[in-house]
Amino acid sequence: MNEAAKPARARALPTDRIAYSAIAERPRLALPGGARIVAWVILNVEEWDATQTMPRTVLTPPAGGSPSPDIPNWAWHEYGNRVGFWRILKVFDEFSIPAVLAINGSAIAAYPPIVRAAVERKWEFIGHGFTQRNMQKVENEREDIRKTAEVIRKACGKRPRGWLGPGLTETWETPDLLAEEGYEYVCDWVLDDQPVYLKTRTRPIVNVPYTQECNDVAMMLIQHHKASEYYERAIDQFEQIYADAAESARVMAVVLHPYIMGAPHRCRHFRKVFETIRNRPGVLFWTGEQILDWFLAAGPKPPSAE
Amino acid sequence: MASHMIPRERCEYSAIVDRPPLKLPGRARLVFWTIVNYEVWDISRPMARQVLPAPTGVPLLPDVPNWSWHEYGMRAGAWRFFELYEQLGIRPTLATNARVCEDYPRVAEQAKRDGWEFMGHAYDQMPIHKHDDQAAMINRSMDILERFTGKRPVGWLGPGLTQTYETPELLAAAGVKYIGDWVYDDEPTVIRTAKGPLVTLPYTVELNDIPMMIVQHHESEYLMKRAIDQFDRLYAEGRDRAKIMALAIHPYISGQPHRIKYLEAIYDYVNRFEGVLHWNGAQILDWYLSLPQYAKMKAAE
Repeated sequence: MNEAAKPARARALPTDRIAYSAIAERPRLALPGGARIVAWVILNVEEWDATQTMPRTVLTPPAGGSPSPDIPNWAWHEYGNRVGFWRILKVFDEFSIPAVLAINGSAIAAYPPIVRAAVERKWEFIGHGFTQRNMQKVENEREDIRKTAEVIRKACGKRPRGWLGPGLTETWETPDLLAEEGYEYVCDWVLDDQPVYLKTRTRPIVNVPYTQECNDVAMMLIQHHKASEYYERAIDQFEQIYADAAESARVMAVVLHPYIMGAPHRCRHFRKVFETIRNRPGVLFWTGEQILDWFLAAGPKPPSAE
Repeated sequence: MASHMIPRERCEYSAIVDRPPLKLPGRARLVFWTIVNYEVWDISRPMARQVLPAPTGVPLLPDVPNWSWHEYGMRAGAWRFFELYEQLGIRPTLATNARVCEDYPRVAEQAKRDGWEFMGHAYDQMPIHKHDDQAAMINRSMDILERFTGKRPVGWLGPGLTQTYETPELLAAAGVKYIGDWVYDDEPTVIRTAKGPLVTLPYTVELNDIPMMIVQHHESEYLMKRAIDQFDRLYAEGRDRAKIMALAIHPYISGQPHRIKYLEAIYDYVNRFEGVLHWNGAQILDWYLSLPQYAKMKAAE
């Protein structure tokens, strides 16, 4: 039976998956060695299909509209993978920080040198949709999720444990499908500074705190801030989370895309973030799966299925 | 059919770090490529950009306020550019609608007299997708510029960088040698067309006053700040690998009294450094065509 022919399932609302909880009222979460916070850096590598509408644009055509093909905006994004990625890579190497590579399944075949560079550094790969389009527009979501895991497994010898929806998009069913297809954590729910459990039809899945706030798409492409805002906001975010973590561990995410922060005029603002925070005591630079494993061991018990 | 190649069929993905570095003559590290855009905004159509949306948000024709906002660039702003580049001794690339030669002969004559490079930029300012006969428009534009300057342009920039899948073939057939629409690298590259190879030069949508001032609404000063950050990084990288830094400007934006000083300040800054060449697109093309990397790429076609 294909997916569409199945009887409609009852929608799980977000609050069916996770009850409201005040961070101030939870038992203390402790990191190893007395650390206060975990910082994780997610680098999003995408492939933009030149035959589709571009996911984002830097330049609209004269007098508006969205004619296809959109070569200038395709090329603007492609710059990130030809040039920008290699600039950003130097920052990760300089500060010995592991990146989490959120990668479209199709980008694995499109950009082998990027995959090689990430595998050599033992970066964690997480699924990011097979293509860069809204999950609600993907014809067969389960197949998309499964195929993405498969190409990642082939590329780095290990199936992905984490998932980030393209543009953080989900259907009502996404967490259920992810759990069923063997993913252990998701990043789309930017609702907390600590990992949390989401209930699914089967076993619970963990949500690791990702960010729309310290994210170059939101800051540079939507809000049109100056490049320096990336640095300033990251530091303000860091200082507050660091202070908040006196009582209980917190997670800070930093998100970037090679076509945005990899531009020559922006890269230094990304680099400066780590120059400022890399050697602060009590800060762990971890991958998503390290956060997951710690939370599974040190966090609350998962909610029981109902 | 070969004329419907998608970008990936025209040029494979290539990581810049996997290529042998390009070398500039002498000890030069960076080519600074200035592109001035002169256009014609036909009053009978919707305006290419708007500084002032209509009161109810619904654009009505004619759009006199936005037409005249652009017209200011041709009447006043362009003359600030001419003065600046004459003082600096820089001969920029002029991406120009061919119709500028007809509607603004005074402006076109000045650019010709000052030795600027004329680059094809369509007949007038509308997306290339909207032409019923794109080939005819391209040929007509190239012919007008050739008649006006006595030399067929070697470069082309789509209006708003727009292309259809057929555009590269049509351009190659019209005698175009390089295009600016593919902003996907720091270096020139070669793309395939059914009519022979075309060179792409690294034009820019990052250091371009339309995205920065009109789309992103940055303060005037930010053009200078971003240009300096862009320059610092590319100049540093230029130690090991020749870099090209493009700056794209329009007279109705950067030619405004409140913006021009920041444009001037960009040149004040970069001209303090050794090894910076101010070349136009034709000069960059000649250099690139003389490199062993180009010969190798062409042989691979």
